Amino acid sequence: MTIDFYWRLPTHGCHDSLRHSAYDRGDWSRPGPYNIAPGLDRDGADDGFRYIDHLAEIARAAESAGFIGGLIPSFPNTDDPWVISPLLARETSSFRFMIAFQPGFLDPIHAARMSASLQRATGGRTVFNIITGGGGPSQLWWGDGFSHDDRYGRTTEFLDVFRGVWKGGDFSYDGRFYSVAGEGLPPLLAAEELPEIWFSGSSDAALQSAAKHADYYLSWLEPFDQLTEKFARVKERTAALGGEQKCAVRVDLVARATEEEAWRDIRIGFENVPDERRAQLRGPTDSVGAARQQALRPSEARRYDELIVAPNLWGGFNLLRGGPALGIVGSYEQCAARLNDLIARGTDAFILAGTPHLEEAYRIGEEVLPLLGHENAALLHAAE
Amino acid sequence: MTIQTYWQLDVAAQPGRSEPSARPQAGTIFRDVRTRVINRYDYYARIAQAAAQTAFDGLFLPYRPEADDSAIVAATIAREVPRLTLIPEFPGSVASAVYAAKQAVSFQRATHDRLGWAIAPAADAEALDRTEEFLTVAHGVHGTRPFSFSGAYFEVQGGGFEAPLNRVPFPRVFLQGESEEALALSARAADVHLFGAAPVAHLRSLVEGLDGLAAGRGRSIAFGVIQPVLVREDRDEALHEAARTGVPAATIVGDYDAVAARLAELAGIGIGHFVLGAPASLEEAYRVGQHLLPRFRALTGRVRAAA
Repeated sequence: MTIDFYWRLPTHGCHDSLRHSAYDRGDWSRPGPYNIAPGLDRDGADDGFRYIDHLAEIARAAESAGFIGGLIPSFPNTDDPWVISPLLARETSSFRFMIAFQPGFLDPIHAARMSASLQRATGGRTVFNIITGGGGPSQLWWGDGFSHDDRYGRTTEFLDVFRGVWKGGDFSYDGRFYSVAGEGLPPLLAAEELPEIWFSGSSDAALQSAAKHADYYLSWLEPFDQLTEKFARVKERTAALGGEQKCAVRVDLVARATEEEAWRDIRIGFENVPDERRAQLRGPTDSVGAARQQALRPSEARRYDELIVAPNLWGGFNLLRGGPALGIVGSYEQCAARLNDLIARGTDAFILAGTPHLEEAYRIGEEVLPLLGHENAALLHAAE
Repeated sequence: MTIQTYWQLDVAAQPGRSEPSARPQAGTIFRDVRTRVINRYDYYARIAQAAAQTAFDGLFLPYRPEADDSAIVAATIAREVPRLTLIPEFPGSVASAVYAAKQAVSFQRATHDRLGWAIAPAADAEALDRTEEFLTVAHGVHGTRPFSFSGAYFEVQGGGFEAPLNRVPFPRVFLQGESEEALALSARAADVHLFGAAPVAHLRSLVEGLDGLAAGRGRSIAFGVIQPVLVREDRDEALHEAARTGVPAATIVGDYDAVAARLAELAGIGIGHFVLGAPASLEEAYRVGQHLLPRFRALTGRVRAAA
């Protein structure tokens, strides 16, 4: 058995350390003398680099370090994965582009054409992370007025059409959201393999849609027992529908040579969190996954160690950067042991990340991934 | 006005070239070591390089439903040709206006603002209406925050891009079509209107008409033409090649000087954007770029100097 490990391309800038909140890679913070991509040349002028140049380095680092590809997230203030992937297609060789996208934003037949074209450009390296949730005010920002459950209905139909036209020939469909009469990809495009489909979403509507279309069911890291129960439920539900569901976890790591060094980064980062960041995190959401994580209430914590929810599990990552709250902190061996635990509990694939994404891709690839599969007892003994 | 010349990268032309599935499968005497990753996209990159090295200003990628998606191809080659403008053509119906604008902004950010938007000709009046709303919303979220809109096709509340996404310019919008409704839309919403190739007298009346329409709305737009060409060192060779290959009726066929003069005539009636194309895209890009463009530029430079 092998496990697919993805890395992440940070599409909202990156920072050189979790200790500081300024995004000094990319132009999301005000450009200054310590920024790169874009940065300033020796005369203080724009050096001509753009953030895509830094993303290209992360993608190449990840593929060199043993990752199969990377998740490319999409939010209102990120660069877009459908653009990033073809821009980097010819500069990478094995890196798979996991495109996060919300199906309602593209016509499904056109999305199939774009996907098949990208498959041709990359030799079959396109993967989808279908996103349906989020919602509330941010959905209207996107121009999407559908309700939460309708969005899952639409996602299901979108993928019905996407798969249907991919076979080529005459595909017809009459649904609530899409109707198609006799459409199909041309033979040149239909010959490509359908991209692997990753799905997320914690609500019942999401699980139902995933059971029909997902190759992988993707979850943020949750407390291990809760995650085990969730994966078991997903696998059971899919089995009842006659399918088989693989499960994947998305998690950030702070892995250092010693546990003390890892927690030191977390402590300093926690102490540097600006008050406005805490305030931001108290806003409402209609994402069930986000609500499950907010229950940890990291924005109310006074000390970083109040957020240690289990050995090597810290629940305050969303204070330090956008994204999920829970992550893994520890020595290389401890991080490997926690990932081993997750594999034993039914995790079939991972999306890992660390800050800064470029250097940490090498570190995790060299120091943590090779330890996986070794006995936890031996790993933890070595860590002491 | 500086004249812009674009080469047409037609993804559907010569479909067998560099297509792995079109390689001889058996019975070849040469040892074929090409892997699947040496493919059609290398050919697209070669055309792009040909255009870059022969001093075209950009590439125009027509929408071809039977072949690769023009926007994916444009992004795939963008970083290999760091100066060319890339103008993929796409129907206005393929994406939500907000999402299309967001993709455009990402492209602009990554390429030093080298994207153009060519909206494929609309099939009917409804498609034209949708295109207009599509452009209104796309411009709106790009330039205004908060942006709200409620129309027949799109609805946005509290929209609009934040920094740094809002720092790049919106791509130049190229529209087409010669119906009354299409021209009226261009008068309101195009940056450049692209005409199909036609006799110069006909183009002159179209340019004057649309210029008047735009002026009536207080706007000034630029004009372009999608012009097939077939040039050779001498006229007979060009005519012979045209007869052998069969070219579209409006193709300008001739020797380098004659074709340059015809293009300069078009520049003289106010056409500033030239999308040039020929069936063998790679070979003809070199020929046109090396021999025709310098002559054309010399002529239009003289016209400008005289004016």
